[in-house]
Amino acid sequence: MSGEKTYVEDVNREFYDFRYEEHAGYKVASGLTEEIIRQISAEKKDPDWMLEFRLKSLEVFNRLKMPLWGPSIEGLNMDNIVTYVRPDTERMHASWDEVPADIKDTFERLGIPKSERESLAGVGAQYDSELVYHNVKKEVAEQGVVYTDIESALRGPYGEVIREHFMKLVPPEDHKFAALHGAVWSGGSFVYVPPGVSVEIPLQSYFRLNAPGAGQFEHTLIIVDEGADLHFIEGCSAPKYNVANLHAGCVELFVGKYAKLRYSTIENWSKNMYNLNTKRARVEEGGKIEWVSGSFGSHVSYLYPMSILAGEGAQCEFTGVTFAGAGQNLDTGCKIVHSAPKTTSHVNTRSISKSGGISTFRSAVVVGAKAAGSKSAVSCESLILDKESRSDTIPAMDVRTNLADVGHEAKIGRISDEAVYYLMSRGLSEEDAKALIVSGFAENVSRELPLEYAVEMNNLIRIEMKGAIG
Amino acid sequence: MKTIINKPIAETYGWLHAGGTAVDLPEEPAREVFSLAPGETKTVVRTDADLYVRYEAELPEGASLHFIEIKSADGPEKTHADIRAVCGKDAHFRWTRLLFDGQATYDNCSAELAGEGSSFTADIGYRLSSDHIYDVNCEAVHTGKRTGSRILSSGVLADEADKLLRGTIDFKSGCAGAVGNESEEVLLLSENIRNRSVPVILCDEEDVVGNHGASIGRPDENLLYYMESRGLRADEAVELLAAAKLAAVVNRIPDEKIREEIREKYL
Repeated sequence: MSGEKTYVEDVNREFYDFRYEEHAGYKVASGLTEEIIRQISAEKKDPDWMLEFRLKSLEVFNRLKMPLWGPSIEGLNMDNIVTYVRPDTERMHASWDEVPADIKDTFERLGIPKSERESLAGVGAQYDSELVYHNVKKEVAEQGVVYTDIESALRGPYGEVIREHFMKLVPPEDHKFAALHGAVWSGGSFVYVPPGVSVEIPLQSYFRLNAPGAGQFEHTLIIVDEGADLHFIEGCSAPKYNVANLHAGCVELFVGKYAKLRYSTIENWSKNMYNLNTKRARVEEGGKIEWVSGSFGSHVSYLYPMSILAGEGAQCEFTGVTFAGAGQNLDTGCKIVHSAPKTTSHVNTRSISKSGGISTFRSAVVVGAKAAGSKSAVSCESLILDKESRSDTIPAMDVRTNLADVGHEAKIGRISDEAVYYLMSRGLSEEDAKALIVSGFAENVSRELPLEYAVEMNNLIRIEMKGAIG
Repeated sequence: MKTIINKPIAETYGWLHAGGTAVDLPEEPAREVFSLAPGETKTVVRTDADLYVRYEAELPEGASLHFIEIKSADGPEKTHADIRAVCGKDAHFRWTRLLFDGQATYDNCSAELAGEGSSFTADIGYRLSSDHIYDVNCEAVHTGKRTGSRILSSGVLADEADKLLRGTIDFKSGCAGAVGNESEEVLLLSENIRNRSVPVILCDEEDVVGNHGASIGRPDENLLYYMESRGLRADEAVELLAAAKLAAVVNRIPDEKIREEIREKYL
């Protein structure tokens, strides 16, 4: 076999890089002041308690320090970030025809309406700071499933439910960017699945950040009641600008007794994005949360979905793949807290670094004193495709009971010469052999996604791997 | 002097809150330097050392140092050993740590594998009871080509014992062909123990292989059942499994005479 190496191309981002001139209906000045918070709150017609909540969060934001660990976020200057940009449309639409042409075209190019027709039970589309389209299929709505933008829910009959749950799982004191989210959040979805209802096909939210130098701070709140079942998909992308953009969203998931929620994300932000997102789930007795996470985009990511297994027999499965290319520093992983008996967690991740990309897997498994009979298994594998790249694995386990079984395995390395040699001996070119191996390496995630999304993800990997032999 | 042991590496963990412990230490450590000639092989045993000792070894080409550190159950209450080794070409440093209890033990062992073909083995065995603490940081820094490291740890926690192990394999750029392996087994015998493990692999080089595996939990039920079916009482079976954890570390000591002495005295 030749000792020559396969040159692997960067992600071909042209598909996501189109953009439209920004003509916002309304936007606040850049930076973060009390006046800006009040403007956002007034623009959004917040109830009084929410304005108070925002102002309190601003105080917390000013008090907390930037994280001293993880990738550098020095390039992010909050004074330059515009925290609220309302697209030039007066209200949210329930029909594509009413959505303004440039926004509609954006989502059509991303294939959202097509997916809605073919494979989804409902769709929400957010453009900059506001949801521009929201629709749920009639038969799903008839089952009592609520899928709406969080702001109408806040002002409507679900106002009290939102107040009861909003930032209770992720309090603003959690970290600086949770506080920022509490202060300037805008847009996002609210989902409620009534007891015993099983939503057969997934719901999806798609987030698109078009305005340069802006931040997106959507809030997703999902309550899956007792015995119910839901699959929710989140997609995100943005065109590339030469100024920093910021995403500090927040996802709070409440999984009821014996309920099941699968939360899938294909994240493909542009490479000027600071993705400082916080996701957290609380799972009651016999319930199950399944995270499926594909991280492909962003300049810098801090992303660690956390699961609190609060009820007996609660389960968590986390499946993730992270692909860090040139100029990317992606710090991803997960955190699981076992705080009830007989809870189980299973983590299976893959990370790939190439062209100087840095990927870090960071995880924590905490098994508390009350979690007798619990089990946890963590497996992480990393692949480094060239000399310029870097990959770190930082898992932590904290076990406070003897009545638990905790296992961990990690592996780091490069593509096996033997495997490439074998495939080449079966007639594949070196390039195809390596592409096949990397696709197979990320298969843990693609096999968990609905077919259409698995195909999209595999295409993303294949586009990256289709390079010239150099 | 309040010192946060292993501070530089502790910061890496960020929100995991598994950083080092602040400990009161004398301003200056007692120092012991091991000097070996090229190609020389040496085994050194230290038992129940002072509160704060720094051991240093710079191993020239082909040298091999086996440093065995033992803390007996009735040893000093609090100890901190800081071990630094730099390995030249084809040199080997082996650290065997045996902890037969002790109130508070803080260890740091760092080996820099600078020379081509050099290697490092850490073999840690411990058995803690009461509210005793063991906080250990062990790192293998691979800078030379074709270097190898193994960090093995096997221990038993009973009563309210608290253990924190941070094992780091750090592949620096240029250490092509390096291999690092880390494995940990912890047997938990009480509901009130605390076990923290942070097995880190840092990798800035493409052509390396790093592996880590950990297994933490109570005695295996099937194994206990088997042992009981062979006539052992449940407590005897558990004791046997616990003794086996430390015995495994002792069995890996290459020098037969030392191995036998330790067996006789401690096992």
